[in-house]
Amino acid sequence: MSSKVKLSKEAGQKADEIIAFHGYSSLEELIEDLINKEYEKIKSGDNKEELANKLSGLGYIS
Amino acid sequence: MIRRDFIKSGGTLLAAAPFMNFGAGNPLTKKMLVLGFDGMDPGIVNRLMQQGQLPNMQRLGGQGVFTMMHSTIPPQSPVAWGSFISGADPGVYGIFDFLHRNPDNYTPFFSQSETLPSRMLVNLGQYQIPLKPGKVVLKREGRAFWDYMEDRGIPATVLKLPTNYPPSESKQRTLSGMGTPDILGTYGIYSLYTSDENESQKDITPNNVYYAYIDENNIMEGQIEGPRNDLLKEGENVVVPFKVYVDNRHKTARIDIQGQEILIAEKEYSDWVEIKFSLISNLASITGMVKFYLMEMGDRFRLYISPTHISPRDPAVPISTPAGYSRELTDHVGLFHTIGLPADTKALGQGTFAMENFITQSLSVFDESCHMFDFELQRFSSQKEGLLFFYFSSLDQGQHMFWALNDKEHPYYHPEESRKFAYITDEMYRKFDRVLGKAMKNIDPGIPLLLMSDHGFGPFRRGVNVNTWLVKEGYLKMTTSDISEAVSILGYADWPASKAYALGLNGLYLNLKGREKEGAVAPEERRRLLDEIKAKLENISDPQNGNKVISCAYISEDNFSKNFIDRAPDIILGFDRGYRISNESALGSLSREVVSDNMDWWSGDHCVDPKKVPASFIANFKIQSPVPNMQDVAPTILKYFGIATPSQMTGKALI
Repeated sequence: MSSKVKLSKEAGQKADEIIAFHGYSSLEELIEDLINKEYEKIKSGDNKEELANKLSGLGYIS
Repeated sequence: MIRRDFIKSGGTLLAAAPFMNFGAGNPLTKKMLVLGFDGMDPGIVNRLMQQGQLPNMQRLGGQGVFTMMHSTIPPQSPVAWGSFISGADPGVYGIFDFLHRNPDNYTPFFSQSETLPSRMLVNLGQYQIPLKPGKVVLKREGRAFWDYMEDRGIPATVLKLPTNYPPSESKQRTLSGMGTPDILGTYGIYSLYTSDENESQKDITPNNVYYAYIDENNIMEGQIEGPRNDLLKEGENVVVPFKVYVDNRHKTARIDIQGQEILIAEKEYSDWVEIKFSLISNLASITGMVKFYLMEMGDRFRLYISPTHISPRDPAVPISTPAGYSRELTDHVGLFHTIGLPADTKALGQGTFAMENFITQSLSVFDESCHMFDFELQRFSSQKEGLLFFYFSSLDQGQHMFWALNDKEHPYYHPEESRKFAYITDEMYRKFDRVLGKAMKNIDPGIPLLLMSDHGFGPFRRGVNVNTWLVKEGYLKMTTSDISEAVSILGYADWPASKAYALGLNGLYLNLKGREKEGAVAPEERRRLLDEIKAKLENISDPQNGNKVISCAYISEDNFSKNFIDRAPDIILGFDRGYRISNESALGSLSREVVSDNMDWWSGDHCVDPKKVPASFIANFKIQSPVPNMQDVAPTILKYFGIATPSQMTGKALI
């Protein structure tokens, strides 16, 4: 799938800095990497930890 | 009579002595008092009554009835008190567990309320200001019984009742209870400052532990973390600094925070300390409050800071109706705890508290509730008509943590702790008997008085990982061969190949096509599969001793009204005595063993088969059913006040 993403000037500048800092070859590569990382977070149950933290005060789940 | 015999007897223990006619249309008076003692177990009450240790309960029951009462399926407090509020089964008000799940992504969430974020943000310098504020929404459906009283102009005051946060809209006086969060939106995150380096390295997530560095002037600096400041574009948590001046010679400390000076001695709790968390300098802030507990001084310095409660004087979110009621209460009784489950069971479980610290805190919560009750009881005594309902949490929270002290079969039984503290459960029951005694003394004997609980109690000796069982039985497929605590169905389930999963404290769901995002069970296969899984669940035996683990698996569609049954698990797991869902399974994680020892002070529980943990019903009036049901109480109250049972209610009036 190919799609265009419109970034604000400020976000574009930040993206350029991140690309330079981490050595990404392009904006597409940066975005793809960020999407993959975010997806991994969801798949590994990151929100589960947050939920567990929130619920732990109930006592029923340690 | 031993407990089991009592339960088997299945009926009224104390025959009603004088018949008191509280039937509708002919009330002796138009007032009624209902006390809710969460977790009061009829078996324990019966034992202590036989020993003459609960004279007031004995007297109350002697005037009318003492019996056990059917709790809800499952017998969890939000579900059972929801039934009390609605006069109905859970299908009517839509709360089936502490946790429900979102079928779109399989994620569990808190069932009682939902926080909706603010919308339409306007950028203003470093801030983003919401034009429409966020709000918290109560997920309990339908009307509360006090709404019908309001329709007839009959006043009701309902304090600390679970499953009523945020409180449903009403002109009656109500104060929210279980389900009310702290200022961070959690159900209680505490902090510990300790000079013990090893302890300061300990992981007590999500609670906070800090190394207490005390300088050469005997000053320690710390901070209290407040809520995330969502008004800032770069959202960050607001913090409030404080200083502790340590005086080891006199075993005291002075805490300076926001211009307030608090003096406390070792082993002492401070009063409530209000704190303002500034969101926009001098323009917007929210108020919380904490208690400091100076646990140790000298060789080791340990300072516990309670979760930051919503201040009832200036609540950041609604906790009462009318909104000013919590402030009015504060004016009369001072500040009081607002978190729904105020005793810090986590602090004991994580070793921050020793048992004596936990008992101290529990008693402080109890005393605070008693103080508030005294005030409302006086007001009730001077009223001409109406209902007062008052809820106490301490018996429930205490029994969760004290059970192993009296249970030699419990894997977490500690003989030394038991020798010192085994008395505490019975002592709590005696304390509650005195609360009842005070109520009986202060109201006219002709006024109907009902003392009730939502469920009883039992041991939680072994945890059951139902997800691991589902994997072993082939109903749940994973994308990894690792079966351990590190693996969650939320990250590793092979959904298109999975037929069932477990989430929450009693819930098992089919992975249904058309309902779950990646459903695998066709609608025509559903009922056969439910019956098959039910039969297998009821056959699980504990490999350690051969005991049955689940005494009844309840198929929801056979047990609930259909109104909101779409929120319900497909099967409610009724664990047998001694068993409960494991902590891991409740949130969707696996573990190596299906059944394993519960090695935690959280050693008693009630999230089991409701037949194993009936509730208590003690009243000074006679009822028409030998074993009432939780959902019968609201129709009974309404009938007493001359109101016919509303069509929403599935319960039946008992008078």
